[in-house]
Amino acid sequence: MQRFITRRLALTLLVLWGTATIAFVLARVVPSDPAARWVGPRATLEQVEQARKELGLDQPLYVQYYRYMRGLLRGDWGVSIRTHQPVIQDMLGHLPASLELVLASMILALLVGIPLGVASAIKKDRAVDHLGRVLSIGAVSLPPFWLAMILQLVFFKWLGLLPLGRRLETAVRLAHPLREITGLYSLDALVTGNWPVLWDSLLHLALPAVTLASYTIGVVTRMTRSSLLEVLNEDYIRAARSYGLPERVVVLRYALKNAIAPTVTVLALCLAYSLVGTFVIEAVFAWPGLGYYMAQSVIAVDYTAIIGCTVLVAAAYALLNLGVDIVHALLDPRISLG
Amino acid sequence: MHFRRYWAGMLCVTLAGALALGALAGCAKKAAPAAPPAPSKAEVATYVNNSEIIVFWDPSESGSNEIIALNNIYETLLYYNSGTGECDPVLATSFQVSPDGKTWTFDIRKGVKFHCGHAMDANAVKYSIERTKNGGKGASWLWDPVEAISVLDPYKVEFKLKFSSPLDVALAAGYGAHIMCPVCTEAKGHDYLLQGHAFGTGPYMIESWKQAEQELVLTRFPDYWRGWQGKHFDKVVFKTVPEAATRRQILEAGQADFTEMLPYEMVKAMEGNPKIHIEVTPSYQNMLGLINTQKGALKDKRVRQAICYAVPYSDIIQHVMYGYAEQSKGVIPHGLWGHDENLFQYSLDLDKARALLKEAGYGNGGLNLVMTYVAGDENERRAGELVKAKLAELGINLEVRGMPWEAQWDLAKAPKPEDRQDIFVFYWWPDNANPQSYLSRVFMWQEPIHFNLSYYKNPAFDALVQEGIEWAGADRARTIECYRKAQEMIIEDAAAIFFFDQSYVRPMRASFKGFKDNPAYPNVVFFYNTYREGE
Repeated sequence: MQRFITRRLALTLLVLWGTATIAFVLARVVPSDPAARWVGPRATLEQVEQARKELGLDQPLYVQYYRYMRGLLRGDWGVSIRTHQPVIQDMLGHLPASLELVLASMILALLVGIPLGVASAIKKDRAVDHLGRVLSIGAVSLPPFWLAMILQLVFFKWLGLLPLGRRLETAVRLAHPLREITGLYSLDALVTGNWPVLWDSLLHLALPAVTLASYTIGVVTRMTRSSLLEVLNEDYIRAARSYGLPERVVVLRYALKNAIAPTVTVLALCLAYSLVGTFVIEAVFAWPGLGYYMAQSVIAVDYTAIIGCTVLVAAAYALLNLGVDIVHALLDPRISLG
Repeated sequence: MHFRRYWAGMLCVTLAGALALGALAGCAKKAAPAAPPAPSKAEVATYVNNSEIIVFWDPSESGSNEIIALNNIYETLLYYNSGTGECDPVLATSFQVSPDGKTWTFDIRKGVKFHCGHAMDANAVKYSIERTKNGGKGASWLWDPVEAISVLDPYKVEFKLKFSSPLDVALAAGYGAHIMCPVCTEAKGHDYLLQGHAFGTGPYMIESWKQAEQELVLTRFPDYWRGWQGKHFDKVVFKTVPEAATRRQILEAGQADFTEMLPYEMVKAMEGNPKIHIEVTPSYQNMLGLINTQKGALKDKRVRQAICYAVPYSDIIQHVMYGYAEQSKGVIPHGLWGHDENLFQYSLDLDKARALLKEAGYGNGGLNLVMTYVAGDENERRAGELVKAKLAELGINLEVRGMPWEAQWDLAKAPKPEDRQDIFVFYWWPDNANPQSYLSRVFMWQEPIHFNLSYYKNPAFDALVQEGIEWAGADRARTIECYRKAQEMIIEDAAAIFFFDQSYVRPMRASFKGFKDNPAYPNVVFFYNTYREGE
């Protein structure tokens, strides 16, 4: 296991180097002038030239690449052309918001998707299965920005139950200052016992989390259903049933355990994708996560931020896949990591 | 064993989630009454912006959205009054200018404190302007005419200029002219400012700043020199909400007092809402279609004039701008000194356009032109489509091409004129209440090309503009006359399509009072003047 993890981590580094290189080249070949962006659209020619020197953009591309990669290794990911702040600081500032949203949506997806998938499988072609099919296909098909706006309309405008967007009400933040530990407001509020902030952060989390979870719920439901149906037709399940074991034990203890592996894989991929793939949802809910940051960076051709986010997402994908492989091995003794 | 632990963990996570979400769902209806005590609604004003609140915290580098907030934190010596066209005193109580317009002396207000507690005086003025000028960033070019700044006594400062220039207008600029505490700025340094700190004299000081969330909270500066008698907000909150539909809902729900950059369709839809007030003010921003004067058939000014006669100005104003604009007369917009109501204005006249094309040898059209605009700007795109339809009637094929700003600008700066676009659509607005940049930065010859994207080269024009610039401080009437003649040249030469002067359209709560839009300070709300009434 240890050898496997070491080898995979080494491969991950290779992947990250390749990703950073491709991102660097792509970000620099698109027509743009980072120096002009740095000083703003109304700058004089002299200011643009001065900025070009300051940013090292007057150097050949290979020199810029060498400097960038050297900085990357030392933890200096460059300064954002758009925000003028260190990229690493920007990303760390936006990461907790994304993590909070993604984790909340994953919990929702697990809570709804797996039970619905199990129910659909054991009640195949019955009303529950049909309902599950409609719900999951609907959840996957609905464009997230549309669902987000409908939820806002219903829960904010019509019912007045939930806030429209952002992470906390300013008034709550001012009245009850939160001691930030992880940057995940709900978790920090829970740990520090700041109940008004906990309550407010959960209210703000509800609509974006449901919107983000909808796609994952659909995928998890269908995946759980199909793999469980496959397992339920296996001989050992028939054998378990013939021993007279209760159906609940057969399904949950013997079948689901073996059927869950593909769902875990899908969940991990959804988790990694959600880190930056949520920009539409984040834009509608003014949720200051990584997706929003990356979308703004792409629009501004902010190449340092684009590379930074790309490397971060590649790292997330690689590490989550590694995690999934380890979980697979734990779930299924037939899989060996070596 | 591993499995048990795994499932036990999963169960815990699920239970915790279920508890949290169950509480959320079950108690959501109680949300409003259970909300914690908050500062009274009457005391907090909220400004919702569509993009970053702050890019440059250092007032010497400022040149972007941050002027909205910084003008409430910092102050300038003077304030440009768009109603009178004069500069009103702020941190300066009065000023004198020499007859040649090269020496300006300012009396500095006594008893003004910075947020850090230090006193503001002539030294602070000298330090602030020199810091911005020497930094070479942001609007530092405002101080190009300044040769030397001298402190005559603690409350009197003198500016010596290289040539006569309207220094009063520069000192009233929304960026590049803020006065900061020299002691604290020097002691703490530039990087400290970037973390969200400021040492200004303005009515509000920083209470909190969340960079990632782009949320800035300002609170009253108790020692503000104007005092706090009368109605004022205690705190001002600036937030970023990029999605227009969300900004509209927030405003309609009363969770924001002021927003901007809403699509005109949305603004029209809100006009009937009694809780919303729409303030419309002519701005200094105009939309130009710079015509490539160095490429193919467009080298012939008759072809360019024909294009200007083929633009459906009224349709663009009515159907694209929903009436929130006025057709331009020349390049200096309505309301700004230098604007001339008597200048010639092109109008839609296809017969005249045909005659001009025929005279130029393009009677059957047969031209293929490219008009570029910033992708995502629906006003530019729609205007382009209307022009395309009219040009098609003349046998001219116009491609309306949306591009990211950087790519659009890069194409415009391609080394060979024939590789560049034919018409470059963009907006121009001044950095201060001075019309100079409309002429000098957009139409004066420059090498390499920067913003003269008509590639207009006319030494007589350049000489007139230069003369106007050099007399602006001593003899404004002479400058205006120079600018009038210069504008006549570019209109006659049809160096650009002068589409329209845009109006600022500001949706706000009807209860939000005291706001007066000033086009010299785009998008800025001077919150000290505002208050809430009737909600």
